[in-house]
Amino acid sequence: MRDGSDGGRLRLWALLAALVLVAGIAAGCGGDDDDEDGGEATPTTETGAEATGEPLRIGIFSNNEGAFAPFEGQTWGGAMLPLIERGATPVSGDPTDGVENAVIAGRPIEILYGGSDSTPDSAVEEARRLVEQENVDILLGPLSGSEGIAVANYSKEQPSVTFVNGISGAQDTTLKVRSENFFRFHSDGTQWTAGLGDYAYNELGWRNVVTIGDDYDFPYSQVAGFVAEFCAIGGNVSARLWPALGEEDYSSFITQIPQDVDGFFMGVGGTGTVAFVNQYGQLRGNLADQIMGGIFMTDPVILEELGDQVVGVVTAGMTAGDSQEPAYLEYADGLGEAYPDLAGTASSVFAYGYYTAMEAIAQALEQVEGDLSDDHAAFREALANLELDAPLGTITLDENRQAIMDNFLQQIVEDQTGDGVPDVQTIKTIPEVDQTFAGFFSPETPSPDRTNPACEEAEPPPWTVQGGGG
Amino acid sequence: MTRPALVVERALWWIPGLAIVLVLLLAPLLFTDFYLSAVITKALWLGLAAASLIFLAGYAGMISLGQVALYGIAGFTMANLAAADGGSPIAWNPWLAALAGILVATGVGLFFGAIASRSYGIYFLMITLAFAVLAFLFFGQVTQLSGFGGVNNVDRPDIVSNPVTDPANLFYIALGTAAAVYLLIRYLERTPFGLALQGVRDDPSRMHALGYNVPLLRMLAFGLGAFVAALAGVLSVWWNTRISPGSIDLPRTLDVLIIAVIGGLYRLEGAWVGAIVFAVLDNWTRGIDVVGGRFNTVIGVIFLAIVLLSPGGLMGIWQSITDFVGRRFAGAASPRPRPAGERAHPS
Repeated sequence: MRDGSDGGRLRLWALLAALVLVAGIAAGCGGDDDDEDGGEATPTTETGAEATGEPLRIGIFSNNEGAFAPFEGQTWGGAMLPLIERGATPVSGDPTDGVENAVIAGRPIEILYGGSDSTPDSAVEEARRLVEQENVDILLGPLSGSEGIAVANYSKEQPSVTFVNGISGAQDTTLKVRSENFFRFHSDGTQWTAGLGDYAYNELGWRNVVTIGDDYDFPYSQVAGFVAEFCAIGGNVSARLWPALGEEDYSSFITQIPQDVDGFFMGVGGTGTVAFVNQYGQLRGNLADQIMGGIFMTDPVILEELGDQVVGVVTAGMTAGDSQEPAYLEYADGLGEAYPDLAGTASSVFAYGYYTAMEAIAQALEQVEGDLSDDHAAFREALANLELDAPLGTITLDENRQAIMDNFLQQIVEDQTGDGVPDVQTIKTIPEVDQTFAGFFSPETPSPDRTNPACEEAEPPPWTVQGGGG
Repeated sequence: MTRPALVVERALWWIPGLAIVLVLLLAPLLFTDFYLSAVITKALWLGLAAASLIFLAGYAGMISLGQVALYGIAGFTMANLAAADGGSPIAWNPWLAALAGILVATGVGLFFGAIASRSYGIYFLMITLAFAVLAFLFFGQVTQLSGFGGVNNVDRPDIVSNPVTDPANLFYIALGTAAAVYLLIRYLERTPFGLALQGVRDDPSRMHALGYNVPLLRMLAFGLGAFVAALAGVLSVWWNTRISPGSIDLPRTLDVLIIAVIGGLYRLEGAWVGAIVFAVLDNWTRGIDVVGGRFNTVIGVIFLAIVLLSPGGLMGIWQSITDFVGRRFAGAASPRPRPAGERAHPS
């Protein structure tokens, strides 16, 4: 330390100047933010003539770091759309900037921004900030599987706040944790695989398969659904591979997939999907007739990157991008109009999951006319009994506040719309899949993990050929 | 140096110090529950982790990236032994589990210290980095102990209460632990062990020639650092009620280094000064739209500024200010010559 010399003093001042600069930038931004907040709140009360009630604070958080950060825009677009449909206007083309003049049931809506990085710690930390510091009434999130379990656990500590899941899809979140004030208006990772095992066994003639998925709760749930169905009707799963979430080099895992299996279930998600598929193509070639996808394969953003090499792959999930139902087209067009950057991403589970969550919140609030008194008792009652008329079919909740909804078996086909991106074609709709997956799972069954559930023959689910469906 | 100058200089250390102690003692009355828990208590246990690093760096010349891994080992050991979701079926008394966590982490620290104690400088940094990555991957891969989702709802001793709804108890526990560790390290500084360590820091070869067992001293220092880090680990699990590999990944490892550098790598108080700056900024930037989610950028700029302009961190800046004021009071008196050791730990 050269304190005493002029150099030392100069450095000190330069450092202080730098610190002040940083603080100034941050404060300046804070000032802007305040102005924006003011701009949000003031017009809401001025122009929204019907907005007379107390503002209602809804915290929304998704992933702004980590393997799922590329999907943040879709999640926010989905969450903003129900507000826009009710008269709000987007602040900018970036959905994370929120909306102005949002009103539900006469109450102005304030949106609070949050973001985590797919680790449960970051999700709980962000949930705590939004609940305990920002005092949100309703919290919408998180995005990722293990985050959901942690936040559902945390929700038990905050009985006066209502939590609605974003798109985190682990089974345990609702089936095991069962928090009274945590609601999930979309099906979980297990439900999303309904129909895949049946198709693999009966249509593709697969008997022996390998599964691969990221090593955390959401892919555990996806693989659990595939294994339960495929093994129930007589298939065999010879290995389950689990690379870490966010892995970039999958070559060592790909070489572990035996050459003599009939095919494999691909549950690698997030930023890993594209890396995995490309590397698989380079190492083994001939991808499309060996692979059966989780929900990420048909995500519009990922599909665009993967291109024609995945044409023919069969996947399943809670969205159907080829739906021509008026309600779906209205939803898809609405998303594209509000946020041109998100045009064509309506079938992403990220957009759809956050959309159904916010739509459910809005409809339940309208039912109770914005009344959140008595620790949200009436509001929660309305949520629990809601029959949500979603763009792709009705969604209802079970006694664990978990969605029961249709699932779609789909195939990726060559581009038909002329946008250069392969399209999806729905092969089959499996109606009203519930979380028990036709009785395979219950609060007492072991949590899906690397080895559970075991691959065993069982009563075939009703949607399989063996179960009388098909 | 004239007497009034000395008094003023002393006062510039003691008055803010006492004020901070007073504010901390009354913190539950002054701050909201959330701020007390999510910012101040967090800063106290993060500061403990940073203090273990500053102890190693400042007194033994060992800049370690393994402190977060060590606190993770304590945390995971405790979480697996106490009752928890996703822990093992045996459920120990939470105090016993905490004690076991601290012992295991200290033991691992001693063992690892024995391996690493012959490495110096960049090699020591790299070997501790390898250890940090190893611990992270171990808990990510061994699903019997953790897995990606970690261990939820870890049971706490009754006295810790619920850190979400009733954060004051945990705050005082963290404050007491931090104070005890601070006093312990300041006491050790003057013991023969502490003096020998500082000798090793300044010139290991000469200490060896004088007959000291240098690797043993370094190993013991690392074990002591592990003990302090383990305390932070136990507190972090009580605070979070959970632990997962995400709690000890590389960004978290770097956080502790950043905290130590911002606070001042060569003054023990710097650990908590850095931690409070870190926790406040983290909390504050999240609420701001334009920098929201860019906390890493903000803390990175500050880190760069500190590294370039004041290697002594914020404590170094304060040191410069007190020196400057002291000299003003001393009039034109020539700058006080500084003993060599004072660069590291003026008191």
